[in-house]
Formats: sequence, C-alpha cells, structure tokens
Amino acid sequence: MGTPHDCGAYSVERMMEDMYDYDSGYSEGEEEPSSDEAGMDFLDGECTTRTHHAQPTRWLLIDAKKLLQVQEEALASVMAILGCSRSTARSLLMHFRWNTETLFGMMAERGLDDLYRAARITSRSAKTPLAPCDAAELACAACLCDVARPDATQMACGHAFCNDCWRQHLAVQISEGRSRRLVCMGVRCGAVCDEEQVRQLLAGEAALLARYERSLLESYVEDNAMTRWCPSVPHCGNAVRVDGEPHCEPECSCGVRFCFSCTEEPHSPCTCEMWKRWKVKCHDDSETKNWLTANTKACPKCGKPVEKNGGCNLVVCMCGQAFCWLCGESTGREHTWTSISGHSCGRYSEETSARVDEAQRNVKRYTHYHLRREAHMSSQKLEAPVKAKLQASIDKLEKNQSTLKDYSWLSTALEQLFHVRRILGYSYVFAFYMFGNDMFREEVTPAQNALNQNLFEDQQQQLEGEVERLSMMTEMTPDRIMEAEDALRLDVINSTVNIDTRLVRLYELLENDLLGALTLGCHYISPYKGQSQLRSGGGVHGLSTAAVGGSLEFPGLGTGAGPSGDGDPTRPASPPVQAATAAGVARAAARAVPRQTQGLGQGSTGSGHRERAALVPGSPSKRMRHDPR
Amino acid sequence: MHCAARQTAPVACAEMFDLGRIQKELREIERDKTSGVTVQLNGSSLQRLTGFVEGPRDTPYENGYFVVDIQLDDQYPFVPPKMRFISKVYHPNVSSANGAICLDILKDQWSPALTLKTALLSLQALLSSPEPDDPQDAVVARQYLTDHATFVRTARMWTENFAHRSQAATEDEKVTKLADMGFSRVDAIAALQSTANDENAALELLLSAA
Repeated sequence: MGTPHDCGAYSVERMMEDMYDYDSGYSEGEEEPSSDEAGMDFLDGECTTRTHHAQPTRWLLIDAKKLLQVQEEALASVMAILGCSRSTARSLLMHFRWNTETLFGMMAERGLDDLYRAARITSRSAKTPLAPCDAAELACAACLCDVARPDATQMACGHAFCNDCWRQHLAVQISEGRSRRLVCMGVRCGAVCDEEQVRQLLAGEAALLARYERSLLESYVEDNAMTRWCPSVPHCGNAVRVDGEPHCEPECSCGVRFCFSCTEEPHSPCTCEMWKRWKVKCHDDSETKNWLTANTKACPKCGKPVEKNGGCNLVVCMCGQAFCWLCGESTGREHTWTSISGHSCGRYSEETSARVDEAQRNVKRYTHYHLRREAHMSSQKLEAPVKAKLQASIDKLEKNQSTLKDYSWLSTALEQLFHVRRILGYSYVFAFYMFGNDMFREEVTPAQNALNQNLFEDQQQQLEGEVERLSMMTEMTPDRIMEAEDALRLDVINSTVNIDTRLVRLYELLENDLLGALTLGCHYISPYKGQSQLRSGGGVHGLSTAAVGGSLEFPGLGTGAGPSGDGDPTRPASPPVQAATAAGVARAAARAVPRQTQGLGQGSTGSGHRERAALVPGSPSKRMRHDPR
Repeated sequence: MHCAARQTAPVACAEMFDLGRIQKELREIERDKTSGVTVQLNGSSLQRLTGFVEGPRDTPYENGYFVVDIQLDDQYPFVPPKMRFISKVYHPNVSSANGAICLDILKDQWSPALTLKTALLSLQALLSSPEPDDPQDAVVARQYLTDHATFVRTARMWTENFAHRSQAATEDEKVTKLADMGFSRVDAIAALQSTANDENAALELLLSAA
C-alpha cells in the first residue's frame, strides 16, 4: 500500500523512508497479511481499547417534544421514590442539576431533611405553623393594606401576602429571568414557591405564565451537566443528552456536529484546550494572510500563486511544474500518487529549526501545522461536491435499476473520506500543541517528546497516504466508478477498511500513550468510534457495522470479520475469500493502468492539477515491515 | 453581603408606581421619632427621597448625621430601593468615592416586606458592624483589619468633617437655596458634592450644565 505522499512528516533523515517504503499492500503474496487479517488485528485492538472506556458513549437527541418526555421521566422517578409533589421534585432536580444519582446518593447519605434544606424547599412536615386562618382579613406586609382572606395566598413556608402583591412579585422575578427560583417574599425566607400556587396566581397572565413554563421546561437542558443545546445558528431548537463519557462529538438532526464538552465545532483528536488556543492564535493573524496561506501556494518555478481545485494534494501549475501542495516543493514528473521519489515533507524537524531563534521557530512551527491543517480542510471542501454527485448517482441507480445493485461500499467510503479529512486536519493542531514543548513542558522530557512525535507522525503519514489514495479513487468520474467491476470495488473497500484500522491505531496512540501518560490536568478527546459513529442507524443497505467499535463489515466480501462473524455459517470460510480478494485486487490493478493513463490526458488539459496517478501493478510488494506499535 | 449586579428589565405587567404604600411608609416614619432615621421629600416626586441616618453610639460614626440618596423604581417595593450615601463615609462597605453601599438587603436579599425605614435601620446597623470580609472599599477594609486604630481615627475625622449635623443642615440649606432657583434637588446635591459644598461654584456648574 502506498504512502502516496508521506507529507505528514518531513525529516532530514531519509532513513525512515526505507522503513515505510511499502507498496500497494493489496497485492497478492504470502507474506502479505490480507485485509482479512488486518481486519482481525484491528478488531482485537479495538476490543482492548474499548475496555479502557467503561461504557460506550451514547447520545440522545432531544427535540421540543422529547424534552417534555425526558423531563417527565426524571420527575416521575424522583416523585416515585421520595413520594413528593412534582414541584418539590423539580426544585430538587434543579438543585442537583438533573442528576438523579447524586440526588438519591445524597438522600441515602444525609437523609431527606438535609436534602430539602439544601434545595431550600419547605416540606410540609417541617413548615412553620400557618398563620391563623380564622381571621377575616390579612395585613399584607408588601402593600401594607388589609385584604380579605380569600384574596391572599399563603405559601408552604407560612408567609402570606395578598394575591396582587404575589402577582407583581412573580412578574418582576420572572421578567428578570428567575423563573426557576421563585422564592417567597418573606424577609430572608428564600423558600421556593410551589409550582401549582404560582400557576394559580398567574392564571390571568398568559404571557408571564408561558414564559414561566418555558423556563421550567428548558431547565432540563440549561441546568443539566449532561445536556447541551445544539449550537446551530439560527437555533434548531434541539438539545443533546449524553449518557456516559461526556467527551464525544454528537450530531444534531439539523446537521450540525459539535464537541459536547465545549460546544465548538468538532475538533477531535485535538483537545478542547488545544482548540481554544489554536483559535485565538488563528485570529491573531490578519484575514488576508489567512486567506493567502489557506488558499494559495506559490509555484516553485514561476512563483505565481496557485489555488487548488481538486481534492488531491499533488498539483501541477499552469507552467507545467508539478509540486507538493503541502510543502510547496517541486516534485518532478516521476511524482506519482503511489510513490514519491525522495519526497517527504510533513515531518516537522527539530534539527532544522534549532538554528533559528525561538520566535522564528514558533512562527515556522505554526505555519507548518496551519498549512497542513488548511490543506486537509480545503480538500474536504473540494471533495464535498464529488461526494454529493456520487451520492446522487447512487440514489438514482438504486431507484432505477431493476437488478438492485448495492452501492453501500461507495457511500461508506465517501463518508469515511469526509470524516477522516477532518480528523487529519485537527491532528495537526494536536501535533502543534502536543509536541511543542510548551503545553506539556513539565511532564514530557524532550527525548520522550521526540520519540512520541516520531510515533505520531509515522502513523499520521500512513493514514494520510491511504486517504490520498481513497480520494484519488473516488474522484474518478461517477460513471466509471458506478459501473466499477469487483476489482475497483474491492480496492475502495480495502482502502476504507485500512483507513479505519489506521484511525483506530492513531487514536490508541493518542489516548493511551500520549494523553494517557500525562498526569497533571485533564486532557480528553472524543474517542474514534469507527464507522458506527458515522451512521447512527447501523447497517445501511446491507452494510452492517459491528456493534462494538469501528469494525467495517462487508458481508460476502470477507473483508471484515466481526466478533460475531466467526460462527456465521452463511459466510464463506476465510482462506478462499482471502485468495479471491487478493486476486480481485490484482485484476483491478492490472485494469487500472490504461485508465489512469487516460486520466492523465484529461488532467493536463482541464481540471487536472493532479499528477498522473496509477496503481503500480506487479511491483514487488513490500508490506510495512515496521509496525510502530 | 452580596454585590451582585442586578438586571433591570421591563416588566410585562408593569404597574404604575405604588403611591399608597410609600405614603403609608412616610407616615410611619414621621410618627416614629426614636429610631434615629428620617426621610424627607425631594420636591413633588415620591420616587426621589432623601434619608437621614444618625451615627450609632460607641462607634467612630457617633454624632454623625448621614445623608442618604434614595431612588425608588416603578416596581418598588418588588425591587429594592436604590440607596447611596451622599455624605462621605469612611467604612469598609461604603465606597469612599461615590457612597455606593454593599448591603445584601439592598440587593438579592431584598424582600417586599421590608420598608425604607427598615432599610435605613439596616444601614445604621451596618455602620456599627462593618463586614470587612466582603468589602465595597478594599483600601478601607484592609486598613480596618490591619491598622484598626488608624481606621477609627480616620472614620471619626470624616464623620466630624463631612457628616456633622450642622453640616447636614447647612448642606440641606444650600440644596434648598439652589432648588429654589429652579434646579432639581438631585442636581443641586450632585453639584454641591462635586464642588466640595461651595455654593457659588455649584451654581456655576449647574448654570453651565443647563
């Protein structure tokens, strides 16, 4: 398998290249572990990773209707156990931020009276004796008037005022945004008013009452540590509740995906703190510079700014010069997407930068990581129309064709590509802070840091290589990929599985070895959930995703072997499929060559800034010899 | 004591200022001569009043006669009255610059069952028992804790110089004089404050502002 371009790392020492100069990886050969085995490896790894997380993170989308329902569930559970009123239950839950476990825990530990006292609720048993009710009139302490008894209301705490005064008091409190904590008017009383009494008092004030009810309803989201509003603008009205680990990136039904911890855009694998710092840093730059650095690159030959118009990171200037989009260096004609002769630009070298002073070093580091992040983000943008177009074709074909063809492999690949681009982009932000010897200076020694950086960049490079390969394949004209025979299909599937495997490895490294090794402070990232994260529905069009972790399963193709798959009688035994897969890939490779040559012709005339890209058939396969793990 | 910022938002069912209640309050204050607090009207409006607090005995504020500016919101008594010392007061919970008061019942602990009289009495209580751990004026509070003798001396000096009964009377006289010329009492007090009680300078200031 190729690192089409090991741009994830750039190093003076080329020795690393030998280690990673592996080839296609899908070609036949006994020493080659097949994708089957890769899938197995990955599954094992996945399972061990999962054990670190006690419970898998799940989230629940809460829309307007659901909000009432989930709130009622929480209220009902408290009312059932404490045998209290709805109002009391709500006040308690608000006080305990809708965490029933803490509430019941405190009750078991400290008793019911303490519980009520903490939430400033006057329970019926502990109330002060009520004022004598036989008096026909009551002197209201707020308006200093005598009012007839029926026109006054007494709260559970024992304080009584006239209804007019209550209404005005409630109006002021509600309009000042204190609906959730309407307290008694008594001097230093502070007891929470009963919900039903408030409703009765405000019966004539529809607007106020609506505001009050709405505020109570929204308390479930706003006073709840495990629930957040969707940050969409304009607001879609939905909220998300997370059960278990709060570090995840849920997706709202409105299409907005966000980091649950900080409600910013999803930024895994970089931590919230890193992302916060990165944003501040980016805003320091002028917008023009941002645009130029993000969108153009000077051609190494003619010096004109070149804007990228395709997803691939290998570009050709109008003047004919081919160069690497990530580092901007000329790469020559022999620069194909499977092998880059002598080119490795993404590794950040401590050695070269040691010569420049600290400030310059920082600027250089920042630019290095910024550019690489931008490159992936713009690739993602450019790949979006391709994805949309292909998806449209898939939908059309699936509707029209009488012999139903299954295109889920392609949808999955497109989805995977979309997400992995984002992850790659943010991985550079992560690297900027992780290996900067700034954020974790006290915890990681320089030697350890260099080692970590090497490990990380190796994995990042491998992932990047695979991503560029998949990007290449999906950018073929829709017609051709739609009528693709098994070989090309297998190639795409293999690539997708491979990316998944590499992502899992990368996240293992991040979670266990890099962030996991830190002892000071808390640094969490949203874990990679594999394909199951992409599709909440699980199996789509016959494609089933394994329930645990991110294994990809393509039934009948044998590229994946889920935990449940071993005993599946309908599935062909592993070895024959393995052989078939390998043979299929070889055929695909053989056929791919003429097509690619054709593609080159197109590329040089029009849209193609992409250099010639071809599978190299029959080349001696050198599978990755060195496993960093 | 809390000094939380209070938001003022228009009330959905805002009602007109409750004249009945404030009239009753004023009558009650009028009747009680022993409490040491009084309230005077400022012209015709019942929403801008001036309060007077006698300095509590056995404190550096003894024999002082402190003037308090009182503003009542439309929603009073459901929102707390705005109070601030016009006389300069050397006290950990009173700003020596503008007389702002840090007292919980004037903020989140206000209750409609409290009145102007109880609020002024609370001010009096505050004068006799400062709370330096929750200060409005950090410099004074630090001195109160570290160099109590100097604090007492300064507070007494301020009381004699800025809050003497006669001073309050002359000040009040000056205010009345300026008010008779057609300026509002509030503006007159402010002008006198910013000109160190110089009547002529205050008049000039008022004229230049008009």
